[in-house]
Amino acid sequence: MTTLQSVQGILQASFELAPEVLQPEAKLEDLAIDSLSVIEVMFAVEEKFQIVVPTKSMRLLAEIKTIRDLVAYVDALIAEQHPALAGGAVAT
Amino acid sequence: MRRVAITGLGVVSSLGNDPDAFFDSLACGRSGIVALPAPGKTGNQVLETPATHIGGAVAFDGARFFPAPKLRMLDRASQFALVAATQAVRDADIDFDHPGRQRSGVFLGTGMGGAQSTDDGYFTLYAEGSARVKPYSVLMAMTNAAASWIGIEYGLTGPNLTYSTACSSSAVAIGEATRRIANGEVDVMIAGGAEAPLNYGTLIAWDAMKTLATADLEDPGASCKPFAKDRTGLVLGEGAAIVILEEWQHAQARGARVHAELVGYGLCTDATHITRPSVDGQTAAMRRALESAAMRPDAIGYINAHGTATLSNDAVETAAIKQTFGAHAYCVPVSSTKSMHGHLLGAAGALEFVAAVLALERHIIPPTINLVVPDPECDLDYVPCNARIGVDLSAVMSNSFAFGGTNAVLICRTVIA
Repeated sequence: MTTLQSVQGILQASFELAPEVLQPEAKLEDLAIDSLSVIEVMFAVEEKFQIVVPTKSMRLLAEIKTIRDLVAYVDALIAEQHPALAGGAVAT
Repeated sequence: MRRVAITGLGVVSSLGNDPDAFFDSLACGRSGIVALPAPGKTGNQVLETPATHIGGAVAFDGARFFPAPKLRMLDRASQFALVAATQAVRDADIDFDHPGRQRSGVFLGTGMGGAQSTDDGYFTLYAEGSARVKPYSVLMAMTNAAASWIGIEYGLTGPNLTYSTACSSSAVAIGEATRRIANGEVDVMIAGGAEAPLNYGTLIAWDAMKTLATADLEDPGASCKPFAKDRTGLVLGEGAAIVILEEWQHAQARGARVHAELVGYGLCTDATHITRPSVDGQTAAMRRALESAAMRPDAIGYINAHGTATLSNDAVETAAIKQTFGAHAYCVPVSSTKSMHGHLLGAAGALEFVAAVLALERHIIPPTINLVVPDPECDLDYVPCNARIGVDLSAVMSNSFAFGGTNAVLICRTVIA
């Protein structure tokens, strides 16, 4: 499963969104996922990918506008924290 | 002073999730008090179910009313408040147009605010040992959340205030909203209260005060016995009640149906003891309400008592009613509907006020159930066990007294053009 698919799965389950609206270019704001909800999503992301989202990264989180941005952010953390897994195929 | 009409009602309660279902249950003497499920979450601790684990629990699924992204931001108390407000606005059949929004506001009362969210957060932190507390925790638990959400829902830009005076909170909210309309500051107010205290931490804290009723495990609905010799304490309940208050001419101009006129509000403080009720304080509040309504005591045809079923309250309230009403005290029916829906703390005043309004409208006096063994200290007419139907009422009173000593009394009367 790719990071994109995993992130889509988390968003779908957490916000009861239809899979077709969860396109990479979709804006989180348009999906009614605000900045505090993104933090909650990060808790699920941490568990799913066995990574730690730095607590001082609020500025970075604020820059996440689309699902593609979110996936890129997660991929960057995976590359940093699990170099062997970097490149897409992941985890639990 | 301008007159104030009650044009909308909304209720979420253990006795039904609309005003009709709620009052029908009251009129039938049905109890909404049930055994609560054992705490579902235990983390790394073994939590025991306390003997007093009963309550007036609401059958309510927030997912029926709110989409998931919104639901995750709403404490149970805010969900109740929003649903009750929607009912009340619909009942009033009012559209908040743009200029009207500036002269409309929201006053709510709540004792414990988002207590469920506070409990959930501490569970995550202390029981699960995780710092992953929900990012919305503060916004869910803050006491003014319910009022704020209602204001946002209808775009009301007038005053939005939350009163927290324990068990009189929502009676104060309704009374203060009435004053703002009477003074000319606003024209329409959404007022009432919400409370959702049936979580483990809150129940244990109340249990520790030794004010909760001994649970009748065979028949939980028989546990709360206001004014009875064998009363053992209060039973907590949850829910919300909202009223739409409207300046009289404003209501007339749009042809609104008026449930009743809110004519009296009495407010005072004991300033003697943090829990112990005061005969003089309660008397002063009832007298001030009568004065503000320009009514003699014998105009009141029914009193919805505070009637918590604690040893102290019921004896003190009885004495205060005698002091206020004199000989008429023995003629006026007094009932405690808490015997059926439990004590909704900050929402109690609003729910019981709605019960009083509906009693007035329907000419039915709801009973005090479970009052079988009379107490010589409580010797008024408490309408034991069965409702009275076809009673000619022209004005009714609703009493709310509180820990902290803030006493609030509301009076409404039938519509006189």
